Amino acid sequence: MNKATADRVKFEFKDVDVERTEHTVNLHVRHEKLAELLKHLKEREGFRHFIDHTCIDFPDKRERFQGIYILYNPDVNERVLVKTWAKDGKLPSIEKLWPCARWAEREAYDMFGVIYDGHENLRRMFMWEGYPYYPLRKDFPMEGPQEVELPSLTELYAGRTEPPSHDFELMHTRVATLEDLERTERSRLKKKAQLVLNWGPLHPGTHGTIWFLFDLDGESVVQSDVILGQLHRGMEKIAENIYYFQFLPYTDRMDYISAICNELAYVNTVEKLLGVEVPQKARYIRTMFAELQRINSHLLWLGTGALDLGALTVFLYAFREREKIMDIIEGNAGFRLTSAFLRIGGVHYDLAEGTLDVVKAFIKDFPQRLREYHNLLTRNRIWLRRTKDIGIISREDVFNYGLSGPVARASGVPYDLRKLEPYAAYDELDFDIPVGEVGDVYDRYLVRMEEMVQSLRIVEQCVAKLEKLPKSAPYVNKEHPAVMAPKEDVFMDLEDMVKNFRIVVHGEDAPPGEVYAGGENPRGELGFYIYSVSGSKPYRLRIRSGALYNLSIFPKLIEGRTIADAIALLGSLDPVVGETDR
Amino acid sequence: MVNSNGFVLTTVDELLSWGRRNALWPLTIGLACCAIEMMHAAASRFDLDRLGVIFRASPRQADLLIVAGTVVNKVAPMLKLLWEQMPDPKWCITMGGCASAGGPFPTYSTLQGMDRIIPVDVYIPGCPPHPQGLIYGILQLQKKIKEKGVKKYDKAFNDFRKDIQRQGLIPREIEV
Ligand code: SF4
Repeated sequence: MNKATADRVKFEFKDVDVERTEHTVNLHVRHEKLAELLKHLKEREGFRHFIDHTCIDFPDKRERFQGIYILYNPDVNERVLVKTWAKDGKLPSIEKLWPCARWAEREAYDMFGVIYDGHENLRRMFMWEGYPYYPLRKDFPMEGPQEVELPSLTELYAGRTEPPSHDFELMHTRVATLEDLERTERSRLKKKAQLVLNWGPLHPGTHGTIWFLFDLDGESVVQSDVILGQLHRGMEKIAENIYYFQFLPYTDRMDYISAICNELAYVNTVEKLLGVEVPQKARYIRTMFAELQRINSHLLWLGTGALDLGALTVFLYAFREREKIMDIIEGNAGFRLTSAFLRIGGVHYDLAEGTLDVVKAFIKDFPQRLREYHNLLTRNRIWLRRTKDIGIISREDVFNYGLSGPVARASGVPYDLRKLEPYAAYDELDFDIPVGEVGDVYDRYLVRMEEMVQSLRIVEQCVAKLEKLPKSAPYVNKEHPAVMAPKEDVFMDLEDMVKNFRIVVHGEDAPPGEVYAGGENPRGELGFYIYSVSGSKPYRLRIRSGALYNLSIFPKLIEGRTIADAIALLGSLDPVVGETDR
Repeated sequence: MVNSNGFVLTTVDELLSWGRRNALWPLTIGLACCAIEMMHAAASRFDLDRLGVIFRASPRQADLLIVAGTVVNKVAPMLKLLWEQMPDPKWCITMGGCASAGGPFPTYSTLQGMDRIIPVDVYIPGCPPHPQGLIYGILQLQKKIKEKGVKKYDKAFNDFRKDIQRQGLIPREIEV
């Protein structure tokens, strides 16, 4: 937020404090004025795009919970954080301003127990109804209270072996029962029409474990709701309990289809916080792999999306190409899917011998493959009938629902962090942002197809650049004290060994402060908000999931349509449960 | 089945086991990251169909449950329900660290191992295992079926009887 805007806001709202930290601009507002200020920011100052809302728990403070709203102004490309203290554990609901805030508020209620006044249906977001705890509160242990006895059935049936076949604790945290789940389901939807249909959670078409409820009148959907949390693994809680570098592999497992893009978003944020410079070679390697991963991810979307609509061939073809990319990644990172390839301050390994040749072969081959997909689908009459004019998203809704990524761009909003807040080497590369016109399922399909072409362009430029760089160029920042030294140095150099030893045992020493940074993932903006009170663990690490917000528009889009459309629609929003649930 | 001794009863068992182990039909469930590798195992390059492994979308047609991904406490009862809907004989493979023992998530929301709710036949370590790993696991299961045969009926039947009696579906006096 620039100075002029801040002054105007200050003029309107006398008791708003404007705080400028190194990476953010925070507006501190009193609880009563919050809704008014947000409305002002949205309608008068152009902060239309809702990015995220979350809370932080300060057990020592009297008010205890602090709410944080992150907004974005698409006209001037600025972000602002609005902060307010809850009063008696309550915050006003802002779902009237931004409908997607409904989900963020549910989540904050679920995790912190903050009550939102005026919320239409304040329910547990991830845990089930009747779960008695609020996990992200500071006094809640990461493992949860060990309350029930759950022995290993394999051992019970086969008898205990000596030594035991595996090592496990007898006590376990609370497990849901079917009654709990039924209660959860009933609390979500008041039946208005004929029949409530459950779709999911364990259904192949739901792309993981999303649980949909459709209230049906004949075949058309009158109202619907989405129950999430069938893959809620407590990532944010884990992050608070481990060092910064240790959390990196966990980011792989969020949006597991685009692991390297997640890592890039995460290391980018942490590097900002720690003030780490990244060498040029590492930036190019990162960019190249992130774009390969983007192609990889879009291929999975293409394959499964088409499979859901009955096109099995595309699935098999797309997976053929995916294997090629995975081989490239495996050759460099040593792992196919959850690669953990990047490091804070660089990348883990230098490029493996011959990587660039393989990538070049891929670049040469891939356009032909893309043509194959286009031949199969783009003018296919069935495909057109299933996708055209379905689920049209307007430009306003992009901002109101906090959409990002290809979903936003298909509606004509050129919101792409690679251009707006360039990270890695994106500002030195030449590429275009494809946007759609109508914003229907078909447009989202076309946008993603074109994005693969653009990614290929980026990869090509990266290869050209990397070929020119000398082999000895550093791929990790060796000077910074918080960056681990590369493996080959550790074994040769005592100082580096000591440095690594210190980081592994004590973690990186982060300065106090806060930072929000995002990365442009194949599924939209993946943002990390880190609140640090010095030390080597984040006090609070909030993950802003693009897929979650993209999914939040689903109930609106499906209203009045048939179930068959739900499948095409969900495929085009392309959520990944690992990221929506975290 | 004819062997050098003529017709022998045990060969029927052998025949059944042969049929079963070479047509393991798993249930199509993907829970998390491991499911992607499971899809890869089924897709063009690794082609699980070669082993007679064909994914079925209905538990009533499946006899193998591949738990691919993190099982959280909220999903556990649903998986158990699906498992109970599968007809006997049935087997369970846990794919990946999460399903086997909680993996990298020792948290309040994650089930620490699938074997807490379902007896598991083969555990495949990895995070995620390669598709080759999954194929190896399936081969191990085939070996296990071959060696141990299929002796699950008696126990399953007794369990079923106890279960319906407990639920009061039939009066206790009646012998099933
Ligand atoms: S074992 Fe690893 S890859 Fe598999 S579901 Fe768990 S976290 Fe994901």
